[in-house]
Amino acid sequence: MAFLSPAMLVIGLFTVVPIGLTFWISLHEWSMYTPLGEMSWRGLSNYTDLLGDEGFFTALVNTAAYVALVVAVTLPLSVALGMLLYFPRVMGKAVARAVLFSAYVVPTVAISIVWGALYAPDYGPLSQLFAAWEPTWLSAPDTALVSLVIFHVWQMTGYYTVLVIAGLTQIPSDLYEAARIDGAGFWRQTRHVTLPLLRRTTVFIGLVAIINAIQVFDPVYILTQGGPAESTAVLSFAIQRAAFQHGMAGQASAMAFTLLVLLVALGGVFLAAVRRRS
Amino acid sequence: MKTSTMRTVAVSAALAMVAAGCGGGGDDGTPAATKISFLTHWGPDQVKALEAAAQAFQKRNQGVTVDIRAVPFGNLLSTLRTQGSSPNGPTIASVYDLWLPELVRDGLSGDMPADAEADLAANWPKNLVEGVTKQGGPRGYPNEVDLYALNYNKKLFKEAGIAAPPRTWAELEAAAAKLTKDGRQGFGVITSWPAGVVHPWLSLVNSNGGRLLDGAVPKLDDPRTLAAAQLYSRLVKSGATQAKMSNANANTTGPYLDNFVNGRTGMIIMANWWQGALKEAMGERYQDVGVAPIPVGPDGATSASVSYSWLTVVNGKADQAKQQAAWKFLTFLNGKDSGRNGSSAMGDILTSMGILPSSISDLKAHQAELSDPFLSVYVAELANAVPFPSVLGGEAMSQAVQKHVENVVFGKETPEAAMGAAQREVADILTKAGT
Repeated sequence: MAFLSPAMLVIGLFTVVPIGLTFWISLHEWSMYTPLGEMSWRGLSNYTDLLGDEGFFTALVNTAAYVALVVAVTLPLSVALGMLLYFPRVMGKAVARAVLFSAYVVPTVAISIVWGALYAPDYGPLSQLFAAWEPTWLSAPDTALVSLVIFHVWQMTGYYTVLVIAGLTQIPSDLYEAARIDGAGFWRQTRHVTLPLLRRTTVFIGLVAIINAIQVFDPVYILTQGGPAESTAVLSFAIQRAAFQHGMAGQASAMAFTLLVLLVALGGVFLAAVRRRS
Repeated sequence: MKTSTMRTVAVSAALAMVAAGCGGGGDDGTPAATKISFLTHWGPDQVKALEAAAQAFQKRNQGVTVDIRAVPFGNLLSTLRTQGSSPNGPTIASVYDLWLPELVRDGLSGDMPADAEADLAANWPKNLVEGVTKQGGPRGYPNEVDLYALNYNKKLFKEAGIAAPPRTWAELEAAAAKLTKDGRQGFGVITSWPAGVVHPWLSLVNSNGGRLLDGAVPKLDDPRTLAAAQLYSRLVKSGATQAKMSNANANTTGPYLDNFVNGRTGMIIMANWWQGALKEAMGERYQDVGVAPIPVGPDGATSASVSYSWLTVVNGKADQAKQQAAWKFLTFLNGKDSGRNGSSAMGDILTSMGILPSSISDLKAHQAELSDPFLSVYVAELANAVPFPSVLGGEAMSQAVQKHVENVVFGKETPEAAMGAAQREVADILTKAGT
């Protein structure tokens, strides 16, 4: 226990205290212009107000759609890319991994500005490339969220691919050899050896992808400001807007705490489902 | 701590206290070594000019140091929220008048001293003084004033055979239809930016005899307000306004600006401050830009743009010495002695950005710049402009209206449904904010 004390102190200081403080603020009305001691008590009113807040539910739905799309695309794509970069014996695999990973290393703010130019309507490179379909990218409510998902997938897939490759290195090669002797081809090896033994890695990637997607903020703030017509107003942006623009830090904290509870619940359900299947 | 270290610290502290005690104060009793800070959202050129004014002030007021801090516009409010309540936060801040009620309520906007108040009353137009007056007293020096006008591309007008800019909504729709062709939109709107969405639209509402609020009561379901939403809807349906060309980014630039600059938008309603952006982006083509008053609606009597202003306030949480030095600096910055040819340094900075100054002497000193064909239309319209309501909950109100106007632009709501929903939401926001 004595060995754990310093670690517990750090965790307490940097994790438990901010979470506790967020909950405490969520029970008050506070503009952030006054010291914490001058907040007005509201009890659970900030939480009950959320139930009638259409903007909160819009943000919740947008976030859920964003997360579902990100996970649905990123997970299979990173597994496929990881296998492509692990199994074939070809030159330049290390370079390809480094290039893929570099998208994750560059600050999101910098990349967001570049993607803003790529997505520019009519005159942007992507608009010209797909001119036949007249894409609207960030400029229309129907396509803005999907455009942000494409950006997210581009940025994060390299990171998840590297995790997949790390997982693949843990699979003993004699299992593949045994499968080959039994007459299994590539697809059967993938289905009965690779994917089952990669389960822990994919579960981890799934969880991290969900958390990262729920926390998306930078591209929304820089590229769309939650628009057009609230179509990209995700929870993290709604929290920032309530706190810093509307001066309703209590309500923003209630949203943040609700998000935390949702995250824990979602993570728990996800892990429970995985364990049950195991 | 070692005894020798403690002795060194004690001696240093004693020396510092003696030095402070012996030091001379300012000419009005401001203690020596008073350091104040000025938070602004201006760009590098304007910050340099502000620093030059601060240096000139420091020469006259030995012992007072003015530190200029600049943040992007998008971060100004959040910087104020996170640093404002600290005694070491910004002493002076340049603020949007919509934020003022909240700043006053929470004590972040200090009381103006009597001499500054007298200076304000003598040298600024009465309506602007009223705009910065909250809880019985003026709260700061108004500086920039912004309002909206119809910007149009004269070259495109000529090509389309349109002789003059539209004066009425009917003429606006007719001109927009003529200008729309080959991927070009006749009339551009802005989305994804609260002020960019609401102010131009509300300028049309005001020019149709409507208002956003009547006191604290929203008037979004008023037929004159609804008519402006119906106008947007008609323009979108006819193809004269293309929603996909309307996007703005966090920097308040983006496709809507690019489309006007590159001749893909025939007309757009925008504020005077974007003159600098147009000149920079258009180069020689800037001469194609024409400006006209906001077209008048069927129920309106005169063109009446939305106006808003910025002001500089002093942090009420700063200590008295800092507040005193800050007001003294602001009086200097806004006074006739700090600028060129009878203008204040503030007036010089604002006109360098194409922004209208507000003090009577600055308007006079910059008469030549303000008679520029672009700015002169805005100056002429200032008298009829309707200030955007500066109320508690103003930001949230503005964003609620933005959402529903955007819904009309993107065809997600009918004008009637959008205005009905906006009316309910704004009423709820204002009630909760205690307006």
